[in-house]
Amino acid sequence: MATQSSSLNSHRIVSHQEWLAARTAFLAKEKEFTRLRDELSQQRRELPWEAVTKTNIFDGPNGKQTLSELFEGKSQLIVYHFMFDPAWDAGCKHCSFWADGFNDSIVHINHRDATMIAVSRAPYSKLASYEKRMGWNFKWLSAYENDFNFDYNVSFTPEEVAKKQAFYNFQMQNPGGSEHAGVSVFFKDEKGGVFHTYSAYSRGIDLLNTAYNYIDLTPQGRDEGGRNQYWVRRHDEYSSPTDGG
Amino acid sequence: MPSESSRQKSPKVVSHKEWLGARTAFLAKEKEFTRLRDELSQQRRELPWEAVTKTYVFDGPNGKQTLPELFDGRSQLIVYHFMFDPSWDTGCPSCSFWADSFSLNIVHINHRDATMIAVSHAPYAKLAAYEKRMGWNFKWLSAHENDFNFDYNVSFTPEELAKKQAFYNFKMQDPGYAEREGMSVFFKDEKGSVFHTYSAYARGIDLLNAAYNYIDLTPKGRDEGGRNQYWVRRHDEYER
Repeated sequence: MATQSSSLNSHRIVSHQEWLAARTAFLAKEKEFTRLRDELSQQRRELPWEAVTKTNIFDGPNGKQTLSELFEGKSQLIVYHFMFDPAWDAGCKHCSFWADGFNDSIVHINHRDATMIAVSRAPYSKLASYEKRMGWNFKWLSAYENDFNFDYNVSFTPEEVAKKQAFYNFQMQNPGGSEHAGVSVFFKDEKGGVFHTYSAYSRGIDLLNTAYNYIDLTPQGRDEGGRNQYWVRRHDEYSSPTDGG
Repeated sequence: MPSESSRQKSPKVVSHKEWLGARTAFLAKEKEFTRLRDELSQQRRELPWEAVTKTYVFDGPNGKQTLPELFDGRSQLIVYHFMFDPSWDTGCPSCSFWADSFSLNIVHINHRDATMIAVSHAPYAKLAAYEKRMGWNFKWLSAHENDFNFDYNVSFTPEELAKKQAFYNFKMQDPGYAEREGMSVFFKDEKGSVFHTYSAYARGIDLLNAAYNYIDLTPKGRDEGGRNQYWVRRHDEYER
């Protein structure tokens, strides 16, 4: 997105009547966009499902648990694929930005028959200590001892990273690193069968970042000059009120 | 949104290859939607601004502050219009739901040259007590002693309520309640002048709810059967 700073001090100033007319005309476009979003959500729900046949065992605050157990009595499971390579000591700062967006919303999501968790590849002890540092309270599981992250295309082998070729965001491309972000959704039916209903990656999870949704309503917008998220820090790592911008 | 219960009874279960084919085709639609969102954001930034000429004095954690002072050294100010009538003892449950989405995000928003606050009609003491109960830490200001909430069309007079006619979400309609939800954006230029750049109300702030954006990705979706947010409680009021 282009920077807006050049035009900001010579922006068009109008009377209240004119302001209202322009805003009301734009409202019609916004309403059309909202309807399109509802339509897309409906179409998403009509997508076919695939059965999950593999048994993956995760390590977490309740010890070892299978994917099926992680539903915790609800019929839907939302997994945030949080980038945390086993070699790292801290989780990805961008995923941390996303986590600041979902942490306090999970209590509400839980009341729509959905459990929400985060899954990372690093061992559970690393996740637990990083979560404590960040002050979050979502349930965070380690996929360190299973293939989950590779199967859902958010972790990549050293060979894939070296060849710069891996399947990510539904196409072969250079993954850029060993870990990537995404979200996956699973459904458990009355017989206990588990199905993979949806996954999204890359800008497919952009809408889930509440800060950006607010920032998009301001005159300057994201103002990143093509350098996506260059300004983002972990919430305890901003060194001054304006650092990064 | 329609109930999804019919859909759940007959899910179409397919092979991984077919799943991928359908998902990849849908990705093209999602990408088009993302581009449309970017385009809309750009068009929004091109909307004209109006000068704010009235002086509003708010009551808050730093005592009395004017609108220009609330920018706190930044050039953009985002105001969440939090429904809290002076006669209520607690804030609106739906606005509290929205606050759970933005509370932890403000530190990041601050690093895009934007200060974000909430403003309500109730006296500051009520806001402070409720915020403490909810465990939030955003800056919350009271417009109890000024016309801000009326001027920005989120509080309504007893007469408007009686007549069921007030200007809300850019048209005359029955506001339903003395307070309504919304958000407004202001810009302060180098000379210190303040401009009103944008406001949104009703479903115009739907996208700002993180929980809904996740819920929209699930098979059941919002599943509200037309009863918008009927299930929402304050985060400490869900029976456990």
